[in-house]
Amino acid sequence: MNVAPSTTVPTVTHAPVDISSLAEKVGIRNLNFFYGESKALKSINLTLYRGKVTAFIGPSGCGKSTLLRILNRMYDLYPGQRAEGEVLFDGDNILDPRQDINLLRSRIGMVFQKPTPFPMSIYENIAFGVRLYDKLSKADLDNRVEMSLRRAAIWDEVKDKLNANGLSLSGGQQQRLCIARTVAVRPEVILFDEPCSALDPISTAKIEELIDELKADYTIAIVTHNMQQAARVSDFTAFMYLGELIEFDTTSKMFTSPSDSRTQDYITGRFG
Amino acid sequence: MMNEHTTKAFDVDLQELIRMVTEMGGLAEKQIADSVAALAKRDVAFAAEVVTLDAAIDALQRELEEKAVLTIARRQPMAVDLRQIVGTIRISGDLERIGDLAKNIAKRVAELNGDFYPQKLMRGVEHMAALVLAQLKEVLDGYAAHDVEKALSVWRGDTEVDALCTSLFRELLTYMMEDPRNITFCIHLMFCAKNIERMGDHATNIAETVYYVIEGRQINDQRPKGNTTVLASTEAEQ
Repeated sequence: MNVAPSTTVPTVTHAPVDISSLAEKVGIRNLNFFYGESKALKSINLTLYRGKVTAFIGPSGCGKSTLLRILNRMYDLYPGQRAEGEVLFDGDNILDPRQDINLLRSRIGMVFQKPTPFPMSIYENIAFGVRLYDKLSKADLDNRVEMSLRRAAIWDEVKDKLNANGLSLSGGQQQRLCIARTVAVRPEVILFDEPCSALDPISTAKIEELIDELKADYTIAIVTHNMQQAARVSDFTAFMYLGELIEFDTTSKMFTSPSDSRTQDYITGRFG
Repeated sequence: MMNEHTTKAFDVDLQELIRMVTEMGGLAEKQIADSVAALAKRDVAFAAEVVTLDAAIDALQRELEEKAVLTIARRQPMAVDLRQIVGTIRISGDLERIGDLAKNIAKRVAELNGDFYPQKLMRGVEHMAALVLAQLKEVLDGYAAHDVEKALSVWRGDTEVDALCTSLFRELLTYMMEDPRNITFCIHLMFCAKNIERMGDHATNIAETVYYVIEGRQINDQRPKGNTTVLASTEAEQ
């Protein structure tokens, strides 16, 4: 069952909000996905709104990470995986085989579950990606690195050791370095795949604060197993189960009075 | 009704909270009935007993609130669980207030020591109390049985109590104008009637909470308003 949002959706106060005032950044239309013969996603219809955070929740294997990986064509890296349907990114279908994937991935950045800094200096971790897309002078590049690190709320912690190896940082710092790296190439959409699952509560809070700040400029999608985290950081929540989108609504509605009993069972811990 | 939580202890916590609300409800019902019985019979000793028993409701409410806060802290409830817990806090607050109002009626019994004791007025108060008691019973049944219809019927049914209260006020005014020596008695009885009317309002609040717990949204209709005591009584007599 796919639940397309109605034209008005309730907010915290349950006063209807006109979602027509929100702009669609990414539109997923009748999306099916196959790992070889097995169908991992079943006709998904969903919208990511510009400047909003959308959380994907659901039990392991429900397809939420798969969906995220489709949004920047990560699945292209593996043979035998294919997608059907449309994913409209500002109106362009990113599933189109003619799509420039490198350009796409610079516009739709991704942060993974485990921090994945490159085994190089903190400075180079940021500059490396920037050089692929922009030819900047040394001064401009320095500037971009600083801005990105500031944006990711890690500048003060690393400004005196930009030449230190990225791997020497703590887990939470590494993850923020990865976010800085993602932000540096100035994407429009950022995908977070369980960005805090390996972090302590303080680092988690810092990343959540960051997501809150970033959404002013970016459209954000986040996959998380932590229900409270989804409730804290997102504006919209999608609940997926067995490859289907069960319910999609404002986060305030989803966590106070979801419509579908399966959503209710999952978020209240009654599943299975 | 609803699947059980994967963590069984959570179900136990929730059930315990609901049980405490039910227990408080039973005590509140008894306090209403006893306070009005003491008033009708002018039984000062019985009234004193009612006053003492209010402490039990207060203690139960404190215990419930602590447990509810602890459950929120430990389980981070969501959706229906969260509404259920918020519901227990709200309902226990209303029940505690009902207990206070009953205690207030019981306290007044000792003050009513004249010869003037018109049976007709007393029947009116008793009738009001019986109506409120029935409302409270029904809404607590609705709470226990997850019955939205029962809650809605209580929510809409408050007008009758309000109308009774208004007519009682009018009558009390005439007694007071007839003979100033009746005033003390009449004022006390007026407060008793107002207390009972307030209990009815708390029953209505509980109905709203029950609706919220079950449906996940507030009641949208405009509730019929029957309470025009102040305007009606002063205007009618001027």
